[in-house]
Amino acid sequence: MSRFFTTGSDSESESSLSGEELVTKPVGGNYGKQPLLLSEDEEDTKRVVRSAKDKRFEELTNLIRTIRNAMKIRDVTKCLEEFELLGKAYGKAKSIVDKEGVPRFYIRILADLEDYLNELWEDKEGKKKMNKNNAKALSTLRQKIRKYNRDFESHITSYKQNPEQSADEDAEKNEEDSEDEDEDEDGVSAATFLKKKSEAPSGESRKFLKKMDDEDEDSEDSEDDEDWDTGSTSSDSDSEEEEGKQTALASRFLKKAPTTDEDKKAAEKKREDKAKKKHDRKSKRLDEEEEDNEGGEWERVRGGVPLVKEKPKMFAKGTEITHAVVIKKLNEILQARGKKGTDRAAQIELLQLLVQIAAENNLGEGVIVKIKFNIIASLYDYNPNLATYMKPEMWGKCLDCINELMDILFANPNIFVGENILEESENLHNADQPLRVRGCILTLVERMDEEFTKIMQNTDPHSQEYVEHLKDEAQVCAIIERVQRYLEEKGTTEEVCRIYLLRILHTYYKFDYKAHQRQLTPPEGSSKSEQDQAENEGEDSAVLMERLCKYIYAKDRTDRIRTCAILCHIYHHALHSRWYQARDLMLMSHLQDNIQHADPPVQILYNRTMVQLGICAFRQGLTKDAHNALLDIQSSGRAKELLGQGLLLRSLQERNQEQEKVERRRQVPFHLHINLELLECVYLVSAMLLEIPYMAAHESDARRRMISKQFHHQLRVGERQPLLGPPESMREHVVAASKAMKMGDWKTCHSFIINEKMNGKVWDLFPEADKVRTMLVRKIQEESLRTYLFTYSSVYDSISMETLSDMFELDLPTVHSIISKMIINEELMASLDQPTQTVVMHRTEPTAQQNLALQLAEKLGSLVENNERVFDHKQGTYGGYFRDQKDGYRKNEGYMRRGGYRQQQSQTAY
Amino acid sequence: MASRKEGTGSTATSSSSTAGAAGKGKGKGGSGDSAVKQVQIDGLVVLKIIKHYQEEGQGTEVVQGVLLGLVVEDRLEITNCFPFPQHTEDDADFDEVQYQMEMMRSLRHVNIDHLHVGWYQSTYYGSFVTRALLDSQFSYQHAIEESVVLIYGSLSLKAYRLTPKLMEVCKEKDFSPEALKKANITFEYMFEEVPIVIKNSHLINVLMWELEKKSAVADKHELLSLASSNHLGKNLQLLMDRVDEMSQDIVKYNTYMRNTSKQQQQKHQYQQRRQQENMQRQSRGEPPLPEEDLSKLFKPPQPPARMDSLLIAGQINTYCQNIKEFTAQNLGKLFMAQALQEYNN
Repeated sequence: MSRFFTTGSDSESESSLSGEELVTKPVGGNYGKQPLLLSEDEEDTKRVVRSAKDKRFEELTNLIRTIRNAMKIRDVTKCLEEFELLGKAYGKAKSIVDKEGVPRFYIRILADLEDYLNELWEDKEGKKKMNKNNAKALSTLRQKIRKYNRDFESHITSYKQNPEQSADEDAEKNEEDSEDEDEDEDGVSAATFLKKKSEAPSGESRKFLKKMDDEDEDSEDSEDDEDWDTGSTSSDSDSEEEEGKQTALASRFLKKAPTTDEDKKAAEKKREDKAKKKHDRKSKRLDEEEEDNEGGEWERVRGGVPLVKEKPKMFAKGTEITHAVVIKKLNEILQARGKKGTDRAAQIELLQLLVQIAAENNLGEGVIVKIKFNIIASLYDYNPNLATYMKPEMWGKCLDCINELMDILFANPNIFVGENILEESENLHNADQPLRVRGCILTLVERMDEEFTKIMQNTDPHSQEYVEHLKDEAQVCAIIERVQRYLEEKGTTEEVCRIYLLRILHTYYKFDYKAHQRQLTPPEGSSKSEQDQAENEGEDSAVLMERLCKYIYAKDRTDRIRTCAILCHIYHHALHSRWYQARDLMLMSHLQDNIQHADPPVQILYNRTMVQLGICAFRQGLTKDAHNALLDIQSSGRAKELLGQGLLLRSLQERNQEQEKVERRRQVPFHLHINLELLECVYLVSAMLLEIPYMAAHESDARRRMISKQFHHQLRVGERQPLLGPPESMREHVVAASKAMKMGDWKTCHSFIINEKMNGKVWDLFPEADKVRTMLVRKIQEESLRTYLFTYSSVYDSISMETLSDMFELDLPTVHSIISKMIINEELMASLDQPTQTVVMHRTEPTAQQNLALQLAEKLGSLVENNERVFDHKQGTYGGYFRDQKDGYRKNEGYMRRGGYRQQQSQTAY
Repeated sequence: MASRKEGTGSTATSSSSTAGAAGKGKGKGGSGDSAVKQVQIDGLVVLKIIKHYQEEGQGTEVVQGVLLGLVVEDRLEITNCFPFPQHTEDDADFDEVQYQMEMMRSLRHVNIDHLHVGWYQSTYYGSFVTRALLDSQFSYQHAIEESVVLIYGSLSLKAYRLTPKLMEVCKEKDFSPEALKKANITFEYMFEEVPIVIKNSHLINVLMWELEKKSAVADKHELLSLASSNHLGKNLQLLMDRVDEMSQDIVKYNTYMRNTSKQQQQKHQYQQRRQQENMQRQSRGEPPLPEEDLSKLFKPPQPPARMDSLLIAGQINTYCQNIKEFTAQNLGKLFMAQALQEYNN
């Protein structure tokens, strides 16, 4: 409903007026055709005409105002939108315009807009800075307005010829109607702005004024002012119609003005009264509005007006604070949640205020719990983007809040919390029945855990900040533990499983130093100090893991939780060197078969577990197992990616932004990382221990396979080096050690594998570094001995075991067992001479030439066989049945013959 | 350089023992019908080839060059040569023909024989029987009938040319099994070796004699070295590779044979069915079915080119010859060593 209209119709009842307007609008045109009709209802008709016109024009002016605003902030897109609306509105107002002439303000906006656009268009710099949408809109709008303005060319040119004057006029008008304007513009006081913006309304109001005058005059001196009346009406319409003749008209008006000076004064008085009334009414209405829609007001306030002002307005003074009121308020606040333009921070503040109020008024725990749930939820909501993480203060607040919530829940065992409790069935205050609150503490905690991970992911792991954040981990664990205790009492098995998994996820990767210590020093009882005892209190993490995991194995119904639990359990076993338990669990779970169907985070966990398993095997001295476990991860060369410890640069081009974001979210926080260098070193060393003896044993074998491609690659890289300096990196150390081992030089090998540098880089990272080192030395000695025997057995006729034992610093039984094993496995063609403790070589290994000859013989054999097949074809081209039979027969024979032939060959080869 | 003289018959075999052996070697390959019965090479040419090979041919790299000379009666005299520059992938616009023409023109200016009589190529452990060699020798022989290819590698120098039979086959460009069968060609009759004679001027011969007298005796012991397994191993390795290739080739041929026979069978069945149907139709008094083009219905499979297998066979033959020769010599040495040891004991 138009404000001008309301102001205009002073004494008439508002309601009837609006109704009248609605009814008469469609026929307005008809009435408009007889403006000079001097009947009783002339007033009415006139007003109706006016109202239709005003309505249209007001629509236009409103649009124009928005356009002007948009122009000011250079929002061309908005301009375009509004311009299109304006065009439509103008089309609607066509009938009136036909009668009244093109409104001046309309021409003005067209002209201004065109100028403005041209200006923008010329401004190359600005255009560059403009965003795409705006630039696009600019070109479209420019074209449109050009086309459109063609229809108004004459008007525009005339306007452009004397824009000054019209502006002056406007200013004049503005002065006249300043009271009105102030109300309308709501404190926008810049003169220029007013001038342009309020041009239309002022024009209208002036017109309106004139009409008022007319009416007055009609009543007062009706007999002689017949022509004046017409004149004024005509001038009225003219003023709109022909902008060019404005001056003339104005002068005419002015000429006549003196005659009606007194009337005018009276009118002015009247107007003032009216304005006052209107003002009052308006303010009243505002008050009403405020009272009516509090909720709406809240929203509006949140739009950016400082909060401080609003706080006291939470509840009107003196309102009795009851449950219903608080809940209503809460719902109001929550409704704004997720809406655009809602200030999330303010919302949190409000909720907290609400809690305070609720607490102050003793509304009971139910309400507080309910609000707290919502506070935490809105804390999580604070960041609209999944990728961004919580600010530290938010995080702190969140932790506190959850803690408080837990306090309440523990203190009041009669509160039931659950996500399956419907809003309707909530019981927040009825103390007789158990309190029921909707909300899920588990979800909150899970979300908290996610947020924690996100924070850790987004913090630079080498900064102090990270350490600070990491300190919160204890708190997170404490919360999880509390929730766990809570849920153990009240939750369903499913919930318990979930919280157990959460607990497991926060436990599995931590090395239990206390338990480790305890293991090393068997309980001596009294000698322990108090402090030690205090430290040793609390469950062994192994026992804890066992308990949690077993529960999950037994109770869980979702596969995912069980899989994760198993993996964590294995990881934990492996971390604490319980190799056999870990391995058995891995094999029994059959995870290796179906892990590829799991989702990526689980796969990452699986990879981590495998790696930990491999490292565990290595510590136990089980090189083969270690190698097998690590093979998959290492052979791909993407260990970093597979373990979720970083993105590969190489594939950055391949994946798009979206994928990268997803992958980034999957990254494991730094404190869970497995040292990649250690991983690689373990892998390479186990590969070395396997590969070097194997290579020595199969020196001349044509079909020698590689055990570890990666290891070979490293060797080749080492060979390609034009200048071999002392090894620097871990890889170079391993390569150098491999070379030494190839020659059976275990001492050099040892010194390359275990030295200051390698200690610092790798070995010291193990929890039991010394144990690992001793194991490693022994392994090196054994494998070097084997390599030595493979490589140089052809040189010896016999060798005493004692010498070997001296050479490799192994005790005699070990040497004996190694050699025996080699003989049994037919790796070494030799026999042991017990009395003299010597190894007697049989010297039956073929030389290189003999080997080649053997291979050649084999190849020739297959060649002959193939050739015979060709021959078969030639003999029996027809008669498929017989041929087949014959073929089978011949094949057999061929095989026999071939065998004989081969034997012959190999005999001659020796 | 220009000291070319018409020497008479004084063949110098001292510089290369195998070359001499080759000279006496089999000339049976049907060289009778060719005009050239002997290749006479100037010492200069031999030295130039050796130098070229030693300087540029490393490992499996192959060096090539052009032989210049004249045909005199039934012998081809090779009096000079020049090398081809090493090919690189980068300068693809290098024009070999123009290079040759200019080279020959320039040599003519200094009064050197400028007639193109063949080309030479180095070899790595005797692996020269390849398609590339066959093709280029064919084009040479096609243009200049008497041209030969000199193969140099590990102190042996041999002259080869394609047999007239092979020339015909190559001209036909049909290497299908049938064509080769018709031509009655086997790997033994692909290349024929032309005996070579190395000829030097008298002055050089005199110098050689003198050098021989002066040279220390110790140098000659190298021939008695027993540590030659490397050479044998290499040869075996290469032989093995070829055998593998041969094997594959045979498998390929085998598949072809099987496919053909299968198709034959199908064709046969089809024909029989057709016949039966026609008989039935006849008995019913209907007109017989129209004849169809069987070759369209059954497209015979593409026969594999047999030339490759021939070449491989030729190559294997060469390797075997090499190994045989080599082992024979080594065995001799071994017996000698044994005898010596027994004598010493």
